[in-house]
Amino acid sequence: MKRYDLLTPEGTRDLLFEECAAKRAVTEGLTDLFESYGYSEVMTPGLEFFDVFNGKVRYFPQETMYKLVDGKNRLMVLRPDNTMPIARLAATRLRGEQLPLKLFYNQSIFVVNPKNSGRDDEFTQSGIEILGGKSGAADIEALSLAAKALAVCDEDYRLEIGDNGFFRELIPQLGADEELAESIREFIETKNYPALGEIMSGYDSKAAAAIGKLPELFGGAEVFAEAEKYMFTDSLRERLRELKALYDSICGICPADRIRVDLGLVHKKNYYTGILFRGYVQGYGRPVLSGGRYDKLLGDFGREAAAIGFAVNVEAAAKVLYARGVGVPAPDVLVHGEQGAETAALKHCGELISEGLTVYHSLFECPKCAAEYAKAHNIRRIDIVSADGSVKSEEVRQ
Amino acid sequence: MNSKVRIALTKGRIESKAVELLDRIGYDTSELKNKGRRLILSIPNEDIEVVLAKAADVITYVEHGVCDIGVVGKDTIMEHGGKFFEVLDLGFGRCKFALAGKKGGSFYDGYGVKTVATKYPAVTRAFFESKGMDVDIVKIEGSVELAPLVGLSDGIVDIVETGTTLKENGLDVFEDVAPISARLIVNTVSMKLKQERVSEIVRLIKENCDDKNN
Repeated sequence: MKRYDLLTPEGTRDLLFEECAAKRAVTEGLTDLFESYGYSEVMTPGLEFFDVFNGKVRYFPQETMYKLVDGKNRLMVLRPDNTMPIARLAATRLRGEQLPLKLFYNQSIFVVNPKNSGRDDEFTQSGIEILGGKSGAADIEALSLAAKALAVCDEDYRLEIGDNGFFRELIPQLGADEELAESIREFIETKNYPALGEIMSGYDSKAAAAIGKLPELFGGAEVFAEAEKYMFTDSLRERLRELKALYDSICGICPADRIRVDLGLVHKKNYYTGILFRGYVQGYGRPVLSGGRYDKLLGDFGREAAAIGFAVNVEAAAKVLYARGVGVPAPDVLVHGEQGAETAALKHCGELISEGLTVYHSLFECPKCAAEYAKAHNIRRIDIVSADGSVKSEEVRQ
Repeated sequence: MNSKVRIALTKGRIESKAVELLDRIGYDTSELKNKGRRLILSIPNEDIEVVLAKAADVITYVEHGVCDIGVVGKDTIMEHGGKFFEVLDLGFGRCKFALAGKKGGSFYDGYGVKTVATKYPAVTRAFFESKGMDVDIVKIEGSVELAPLVGLSDGIVDIVETGTTLKENGLDVFEDVAPISARLIVNTVSMKLKQERVSEIVRLIKENCDDKNN
């Protein structure tokens, strides 16, 4: 039988040194950001019951979840999403806590990707959830934090906002059955203008014209004026006004050229019920941030509350950072204790550390090997500690 | 950071049609016509780079964002799927997926589970799933027409252009599965990060492609 003891499973990998530093830079940057705005951290288990993700509405196709069974033969999954466990938490242990609740997390999710696709099956997400609170103000807070989170990864980011409410309001007016509605949604999501145009040419209504236009309505502030022409009911116009107001508020906080709009954001299998947003950075072919408003999800777990949140794909952001080069600082001093000076050497390490330096304690047999190591690893100073406790410092010539 | 716009073309027939299209736009395609063995080519005086790849790889490169725009057949899109924008039907490379079998035969007769040979298992599975029909699918790499002739399968799902190969082998189309033509696809992030330039190129291509019905 073939043994797999030297490999990591497809879609997973070991991270080494600079890769860890890049990933840590992202999570630390984001954690600092979220904490500076008073968010509280939560951690949920990596293993969850399948039922958590298989409720009244199924947002995750079961073939994309890693499954296993527990000791009682109950079906379990490796956490495929961070928002749903937090909704569960909000409806259970946090039930007594008054809303609004502002939470953040840094934890992995697991997704079964098609084989050989080059995508991560395990990756870390850092994100926030605002449960409850005044909707308008929460939207602005979430979006401005999203912009700041993207800036942690790359100054030249784009934050794009949309609202799937346009599609949800328009589609019933078309009278399309579920299957056709799903095709239309898919053609909007993929900006498949020819296929969408062909379906819409069979209708002669304002709703069809608006649906056909949705995927083209993306860009900067000019989009609103264009969209206005297609919004033929008061509630559609009101929705557009609200989105415009939100866009203007964000542009007042962040550089306006970073903020984009796309009314064609109508993604499937998500629990979003209104505002949606995505973040892009140079050097990564997929969104690094995604989020939105989900006003029904907590209700699925028995606690009715509106909510909004987003998650940053930390692996993706770290890859971008890594590609630009991140340095892992070398220790300041290599401390080598001669025969009989092991305790003194470690004590000296402690003293150096308390002075604010970083040290590498040598375990080499001879000072020469230690010196070679220091040279190879960019350590600029060697302290040799003798048995009598005396310390001799040397510069390392690089 | 690569600020160029990189276009991936499917090698072969789609490539030559696409190069004609770039010609009509007014781009200097001399490098593309005398490419030798090079795989990355540039268009002089434009911030555009062209790469040549196999059909499925065009999708992979665009999906990962290392190419911004791709030209690829709908057949490959249907078989491989993926997340990208599919913005234009370029109108060339028109043909269809069809279910075919021995002339005079009838694919749907009888209760038995049918066997279908194909180079496109995902397309075939989706087609029969939409009919709520169980079939055995056998993946074939070469000439699929052989499979029903030697008795491996009851039918085939394959690309049909003129139908000559089918006819010469005593096969006939039972049913059309889906029309096919070359498509212009765009990476979802490039569309947003390089919106001005990408939209401009898409507009030029749209204005210059054969099919004015887009």
